[in-house]
Amino acid sequence: MSDDVEAAFDLVACLERVRARDQVAARELVEHLHPLVIRIVRAHLPRRVAEEDLSQEVFMKVFTRLGQYQGSVPFPHWVSRIAVTTCIDHLRAQKRRPEFRWADLSENEADVLDAVLTSENDVGANDALAARELVAKLLEQLKPDDRLVIQMLDLEQKTLLEISQLTGWSTTLIKVRAFRARRKLQKLFEQLQRKERS
Amino acid sequence: MKNSASAWQRLVVAARHAPDTVDESAPFGFSTRVAALAMATERPGMSALMNRLSLRALGVALALMIFSIAANYSSLSFSSDSDQDSFDPVADVLTTS
Repeated sequence: MSDDVEAAFDLVACLERVRARDQVAARELVEHLHPLVIRIVRAHLPRRVAEEDLSQEVFMKVFTRLGQYQGSVPFPHWVSRIAVTTCIDHLRAQKRRPEFRWADLSENEADVLDAVLTSENDVGANDALAARELVAKLLEQLKPDDRLVIQMLDLEQKTLLEISQLTGWSTTLIKVRAFRARRKLQKLFEQLQRKERS
Repeated sequence: MKNSASAWQRLVVAARHAPDTVDESAPFGFSTRVAALAMATERPGMSALMNRLSLRALGVALALMIFSIAANYSSLSFSSDSDQDSFDPVADVLTTS
């Protein structure tokens, strides 16, 4: 969210109106926060969960807990934390992870995987979308908490402190989860290298 | 092992360059629906307070029930024993006739 947009939108006044049960203000708040919430939801969306349903759940939690917001952290950070914890709860709820197979990849995804496994060259810019899809499928193999940590560290390039603020986990726990996730990913890559591309 | 780590790093670097083409604005009617749902729900403070009070009242009622049964157990058992020896006029009439 840019500073201009923040300045144009009077968040404090809007929150006051929402607390006074003003429905118009509530609608404005949802529209203002939607880009922030949907980015988090899309980044950590579990399988078979609609992003609109999940973002609605996040907003309902925001409104329900609005009385607990003391203003000690910026409001968007507080909302981000609710969004992240809601996503974690949903990710934890999905028990079984599907097995990762070459056959389930699209042609582009398989090419990208082939390229990173067999050559030392960087993936071409044209294959960025396929790479992102492939990363999402690989991340599904991880435990929900580990997946969230790797997603934030490697893809969103957040710092340990930022992740700690968003999740409430200690930096030591985040490091442990990142280590565990990377080890699992390495094993997965080794398995894929051993298997023939169908 | 090192090669696998490098493969993952090259993959995420490529994934980070993927453009965000998806619209981030709220879908049509989404904000209206969410705002209406949020405002339609009961004030959380009041409902939480009511829930807490009802649970507390239930707990107190259970404690009182157990206490009163325990306190009156001896008199209850005594009265049931004494009921067996109580005066029965019908039985008296039948036995005397």
